[in-house]
Amino acid sequence: MTARRRWLTHPAIHTAAFIGLLLVMVTGRIAYRLAHAFPEYAEWMARTYDIPATPAAHEQMVHQRITRANMIVSRVSIFVTVGVLLGVTLIVTSHVLLMREIRRREEVERILQNTNRELESFSYSVSHDLRAPLRSIDGFSQALLEDAGPSLAPEAQGHLARIRHATQRMGLLVDDLLTLSKVARTEMKRERVDLSDLSAHIVSELRRQAPERVVHVTVTPGLAARGDARLLSQALQNLIENAWKFTSRRDVAAIDVGQTRDGSGTQTFFVRDNGAGFDPDYADKLFGPFQRLHGSSEFPGTGIGLATVQRIIHRHGGRVWAEGQVEQGACFYFTLA
Amino acid sequence: MHEILLVEDNPDDVELTLRAFRKSNIANDMIVARDGIEALDYLFSTGIHAGRPGDLPQVVLLDLNLPKVEGLQVLQRIRANPKTRLLPIVILTSSIEEQDLVSGYRLGANSYIRKPVDFQEFVEAVRQLGLYWLLLNQVPPVP
Repeated sequence: MTARRRWLTHPAIHTAAFIGLLLVMVTGRIAYRLAHAFPEYAEWMARTYDIPATPAAHEQMVHQRITRANMIVSRVSIFVTVGVLLGVTLIVTSHVLLMREIRRREEVERILQNTNRELESFSYSVSHDLRAPLRSIDGFSQALLEDAGPSLAPEAQGHLARIRHATQRMGLLVDDLLTLSKVARTEMKRERVDLSDLSAHIVSELRRQAPERVVHVTVTPGLAARGDARLLSQALQNLIENAWKFTSRRDVAAIDVGQTRDGSGTQTFFVRDNGAGFDPDYADKLFGPFQRLHGSSEFPGTGIGLATVQRIIHRHGGRVWAEGQVEQGACFYFTLA
Repeated sequence: MHEILLVEDNPDDVELTLRAFRKSNIANDMIVARDGIEALDYLFSTGIHAGRPGDLPQVVLLDLNLPKVEGLQVLQRIRANPKTRLLPIVILTSSIEEQDLVSGYRLGANSYIRKPVDFQEFVEAVRQLGLYWLLLNQVPPVP
């Protein structure tokens, strides 16, 4: 049922119709009784509006009028009775339907709440319980290296280094997964967000971390959006960090953050770079979790960043897509509903 | 005097934390409580620590995920007691769940540190933590 028609099933409408019909019925019955109890009244009515020539004709007319009035009243009575029955049926049916709908929604809500609770406790475990063993593995590998390092063969030292490297990578994966699950759980706010401002902050932080890099960044001023500031900042961060990372082998890297209009005129933001790009045949794989189109020795990463971006954009009711060619840069577009 | 109370149930974490303190040349005595009850017993000289003189550690390093009495509850009871109301408490945990952070500070934690996976980062965190809470920070007098 569309929202516009929903009032039709509202019990108040049916109750009002019922009461209306009841009033009509009662008034009808009263008129009928009156006509019977006071023939003089009917006569007066007839006289007032149409006075016949002779008393006999008058008598007959009064009689006819009373009979007609009786007929009308009894017909009205039938209509009223049918109306009342229909009204009662409608009220009962709508109540039953409404109760069923309420129960169904309560059930769905209960399932959703359970799922949410499970998700909460899952991500809590991810954050807390999965990291603890990783710390042990990394810590004791390091302890072993420090305490027994000199007596270990160089190969064995290499193995320990590999263990630590893998453990730390697993730590990053756990953190990124946590971020991804948080995106789904965060309560969304809709506010005015200045994407140019956010981008400038992200870029200045990246410059601070890698001052040796030559990167030309152009951010179109006044990129205004409506959405959740924290989530949008996270999405921009992932996109700009990606651009930053995949241009690392360019002598002069270029990153553009701006906006355009798509075919239907929807405001579309983009982050473009002149970096390693990607094979367009795999463009649809980019946004799946753990999907990577480059080896981790080439460009480090967990493959969760773009999945997080996609989830954020979808939560805003928008779309995200990418265009690119191998070694010719990439451009990530997104819209916000 | 100047001891540190470490409330931590995971023996690996205890060992690694002790090692990190040794590597940072922090020589303070480290008392380890394996669960919340033990920590409270130590602070209030009750249970297994009945009869202990009532001196307090310089700082408490508190894990959140503890058996018996959970970390946040330990914090709550520490803040509820006039003797330990002002005792410096540093939450040292794996969790960065927002609810833990917010509840931790709301219940009166003085600091919240997430244990990094990388042991070298952890050693650095412990070094700074020791420097700050044991050398720079002035503790209030025990009431």
